[in-house]
Amino acid sequence: MKHGGVTKFSIQNLLGPIIVLILLTHFVGGASTSLQLVTQMALCLFVMVLALQVFVGNSGVLSFGHGAFALIGSYVSAILTAPVNIKDNALSMNQLWEPLVSPQVNIYVALVISAAVSGLIAAITGIFLMRLNGLAAGIATFALLGVAYNVFFNNKKIGPGSQALPGVPLIDNNWILLLLAVLSLILVYFINISRIGRTLRATREDAMAAPALGISIFKVRLIAFIISGAVAGLSGGMYSHVAGTFQVQDYYLEFTFITLSMLIVGGSASIWGALVGTFLITAVGQVLLMMEQDLPVFGIQVQIPLGSRAVIIALTFVAVLLWRSGGITNGKEFRIPKLKKIS
Amino acid sequence: MDQKSFHANEISKSFGALQVLDNVTLNVNPGEIVGLLGPNGAGKSTFINILAGYEKQDGGTVVVEGKPLDGLKPNARARAGIARTFQSGRLFGNLTVAENVALGAIGLGESGKVAHERSESILEILGIEKLSPHAAGSISHGNARLVGLARAVAAHPKYLIMDEPAAGLNEDEAPRLLQALEVIRKNIGCGMLLVEHNVKLVTQACSRVVVLATGILIFDGNPRDALNNADVKTAYLGNAGVH
Repeated sequence: MKHGGVTKFSIQNLLGPIIVLILLTHFVGGASTSLQLVTQMALCLFVMVLALQVFVGNSGVLSFGHGAFALIGSYVSAILTAPVNIKDNALSMNQLWEPLVSPQVNIYVALVISAAVSGLIAAITGIFLMRLNGLAAGIATFALLGVAYNVFFNNKKIGPGSQALPGVPLIDNNWILLLLAVLSLILVYFINISRIGRTLRATREDAMAAPALGISIFKVRLIAFIISGAVAGLSGGMYSHVAGTFQVQDYYLEFTFITLSMLIVGGSASIWGALVGTFLITAVGQVLLMMEQDLPVFGIQVQIPLGSRAVIIALTFVAVLLWRSGGITNGKEFRIPKLKKIS
Repeated sequence: MDQKSFHANEISKSFGALQVLDNVTLNVNPGEIVGLLGPNGAGKSTFINILAGYEKQDGGTVVVEGKPLDGLKPNARARAGIARTFQSGRLFGNLTVAENVALGAIGLGESGKVAHERSESILEILGIEKLSPHAAGSISHGNARLVGLARAVAAHPKYLIMDEPAAGLNEDEAPRLLQALEVIRKNIGCGMLLVEHNVKLVTQACSRVVVLATGILIFDGNPRDALNNADVKTAYLGNAGVH
């Protein structure tokens, strides 16, 4: 089966990526302080790529707008948890709206609220966006990203505008981030094998034949968009608690390009593809970043011009798609390779 | 008109100045297989697209079991019991044959377990159960036609519209289709509207035939009578007879 997606529960499909995530978090995240931060960032990005997988991978509709949900999730979690004095001091010059200064909630409550708010915004915008198809849908989701970015970048009544909101409490425990990533993975896995995931893939395969089977394209896309928006919101919330700040610029074009690249390079039709893409591009990006900064990589010092990282990732993206249009995993879920009998 | 029938009443449709359908009335009763014949451009495809909700008619009504379907989208008509197949198959090529057929039931709200049991059962009834694990995009044209039929009947529809299911089938495959139609009629019991150019298949499979020519219904009756009808011969069959 070519990039089709899973339909039946398989313990191997589900546990494989979870075990790989645990191993990566333990061995890479525990190797050094800098690798711990890279691993934490990668876990946040993986949750974002899972959000893209559940919608883009299953529906075949390319969304450039999910950065908006991550942005909103990050903002909500940051504004609800940053200390009052920091919000008061850092934002007083920006005339932050008074009711936003005092709220203080627990990090985990804030993460739940950030997912809920992003899911709600996805529901409201999805009512309009999910009626569109093809290029129109793609460009409309891009407009959503543009609107969200400009609202937060220019409106200092609701947030830091073009500045950063510092003092966001950190989640510095790798295992908590891993737990959030695993919970997101389990949710997305069960959505993928549910009626929603299966009928959504039918609409991806043939948007004319699917309605003849009683499938409402609008309804299944909207449900997936809401779930996807909520998971993207969670990812944004996690990111703000890893970075310790909220900054609008973190969720715009580069973020959109990188996360979509991770999904497509890994294989958009599977969770395993989302994991492979996220960690591969994170690793390649990290190596290239070190080379840009003239730092030794595995003892070898090679300097590359600033900006090369994005160019090389873009070229890798094109090369992978030319080689395998279904991504590295070809949309297949994790399976232990079968040993061939020697006759 | 039987209260349980699938009824199209005085359907009209124009594309600009071209009138494609002119007051076409057709009735299909439960368990009945009706053949719809006509030359290319007669309006057959437009007619069945209107019945299935893919086109809007300019005039007339479509009713199933006494309930009007006008204004309902294809998915809502499917939920009302109207299934269809497509001339070009339109299987979900990257999904397996079993998943394609199961989606016929899942789309209408059946659980995954019920859908897969039904998928297995229908594929077995049609004698194509060995295709189950294969990607639908990789099977032969003839088998794809049967899988398309299986997918449509997985919903246990009240009525099934088939758009040229024998198109492109060879002489060995056409009898398999005929056999499949009979199996579906016996096991599912749905009424069927068979749009087809293969006159031999239609006369063998159908208890009644209607003929469209330039958007006008010119015949409604027994298949044997259709073959001898002067209007049908002039508009469609010519002197070539049954092929």
